[in-house]
Amino acid sequence: MDMIGMAIKIAILIAYAIIGTCVGLLFMGIGRKIIARVHNRVGPPFYQNFIDVAKLLSKKTNISHGWIFDLALLFSISGILLTLLFLPIGGAQLLSMDGDAFLVLYLLAIPALGFALGAGASGNPNAGVGVMRALVMMLSYELPFVITLIALMIYYDTTSLATIVKMQSIDGIKSWAITMPPFMIAAFAADMALQGMLMEQPFDIPVAPHEIASGPMVEFGGKYLGSLMLYKAIALVAETTLFVDLFLGGGVVMHSGVMAAIINFFVWLGLIFLLFVLSILIAASFPRFRIEQAFGFYWKYEAIIAAISLIWVYIMVIK
Amino acid sequence: MGLHNGDKMMRYEEWSKLARKASKKSLWMVHFCTGCGAVEMPPVMTSRYDAERFGITSMATPRQADVLLITGYLTVKTLRRVIQVYEQMQSPKYVIAFGSCTINGGMYWDSYNTIKHLEKYIPVDLYIAGCMPRPEGIINAFIKLMKLIDEGKARGWEKYQKYYDRYKENQRRVFNFEIKEEQKEEKNEEH
Amino acid sequence: MKSIELLGKGEEMHGRAYIKLNVNELEEAIKKLKENGFNHFVMLSCIDWLDKGKFELVYHMWNYEEKEHAMLSIDIDRNNAVMKSMSHIFPQIETYEREVHEMYGIKFEGNTRLTPFLLENWPHDPPMRKDFDSKKFVRQMYESIPFIEGEENEGI
Repeated sequence: MDMIGMAIKIAILIAYAIIGTCVGLLFMGIGRKIIARVHNRVGPPFYQNFIDVAKLLSKKTNISHGWIFDLALLFSISGILLTLLFLPIGGAQLLSMDGDAFLVLYLLAIPALGFALGAGASGNPNAGVGVMRALVMMLSYELPFVITLIALMIYYDTTSLATIVKMQSIDGIKSWAITMPPFMIAAFAADMALQGMLMEQPFDIPVAPHEIASGPMVEFGGKYLGSLMLYKAIALVAETTLFVDLFLGGGVVMHSGVMAAIINFFVWLGLIFLLFVLSILIAASFPRFRIEQAFGFYWKYEAIIAAISLIWVYIMVIK
Repeated sequence: MGLHNGDKMMRYEEWSKLARKASKKSLWMVHFCTGCGAVEMPPVMTSRYDAERFGITSMATPRQADVLLITGYLTVKTLRRVIQVYEQMQSPKYVIAFGSCTINGGMYWDSYNTIKHLEKYIPVDLYIAGCMPRPEGIINAFIKLMKLIDEGKARGWEKYQKYYDRYKENQRRVFNFEIKEEQKEEKNEEH
Repeated sequence: MKSIELLGKGEEMHGRAYIKLNVNELEEAIKKLKENGFNHFVMLSCIDWLDKGKFELVYHMWNYEEKEHAMLSIDIDRNNAVMKSMSHIFPQIETYEREVHEMYGIKFEGNTRLTPFLLENWPHDPPMRKDFDSKKFVRQMYESIPFIEGEENEGI
């Protein structure tokens, strides 16, 4: 019985990985199309990123820079898959425990560190600069994000993501966190943090192609770059899902039954797509922040906005 | 027992055909613009001609790129860098040489420091003639390259591997400006 | 023109001052012009007079207040092409001297940076001298390198 349960979990994990990559790659392709339309261009077909990954994985030479470089990608992909397991997707969560809202934050740092290891092992100075910037960026967007997370935890009196999602889905859309005024502000701060997590403009200084030759990815090519794209696709899904779980009720609109699960899944898909389109539109309309500007933006304005929502929530709870 | 050898070959052929199909629709290029012609690239990539609709994007580093686009004349000093860039790229890789200077030296045909025929030093899959070629020419060249890749004819990188020693010998001679003794005498008489 | 008045010789040529100097007068002249508003050293150019057997070095200077271009010209012997470096007056002269050294083979005494500049591993005569036959060099050098002809449509 235990073996069967394990097998089912492994099968679901594989299904998650496939869904994550497919959805992520599809979104990236649609994102490129949207950016092209904003630039008044035709743009690549929406399935372009699948072709890109297929091409990269079929490259004949793949230059490695030592075993750390090889393992770093594995580190990143396994880290992001683990994150995906802890996130409720359409209300369905594979692994859960008390305090998993904190755990997810830690797990989200693992891929970035893996990425940093790989880039460091490549020995390219541009990669070193890019990694430094990526880590500073992580430090800066996590402060407002953690404050909004604490506000949510105080309001719902829990540290479990599953409970947060459940509390928000009691009364459909009306009970979503984002409908409450303090969390509207918090959602704004968290969305900006999401922009930094996705490394979209204006916070794409760690991978700026024209300044530091795409930063950490400078030495990645062939199959390595292909797996990196897969990782990015999954990361996109995981990060938008985290936001949906925290503020949009995880996309849960119906309870109990197979039909409800399917509908919840599609609502979740629609919500992360909307979130992604929002981030792409911001990316297409703003130029790039320098690293100290980005840091200042997050620690001055975003942190203050998040702190206001935290205080507001605290007053609401005390009453 | 495993597969029959012929079957294996067939399967390999099919896979490489698929790989070529993917490869031709997603050409990432790194453009090497030291001489001239760099000004033709922005219109190709941006709204006016929009090369991204063919899956062509420019990449920041040679490691990530498939196509090396060399624009304009090359001095011996830049040729050394071009070869470094070319060898950093991961095969299958293609070279497009842009402008008449890469074909036969162009207006620098009698210059002491400009190489005349690029294909003596690295394999060139496609030339774009003109001084300067228009952005339409570049897009046309990319479409032609796609056709060549699809037919399996863009095999410059295999040629470079096969005749590596001969390419290296040519590169060494041009880097050291080495004139062979018999060449000196023969040409002097002719003169 | 101001530079002609300052140095007491020279002539106006197409709106610029052309001042012919002896080699030993040059340093004083550059210093004097620099003190009197010619504070932009534009460039150092060189002309090879093959038939006269000399190199002409031209030091171009610019005055922003007077909007005046002064050209200080000196002649040096072609067979004994040695010149004193002027890089202690304007530091940027060092780079121009490197270029002239590489292209014409003129040695600048006092310049410690006369290393290869634009040409790498150049073993022949300086290429900008008039007696360097560029066409012959191209024939001997670039034309003699063989094409690499593989078989048609071959692969591994």
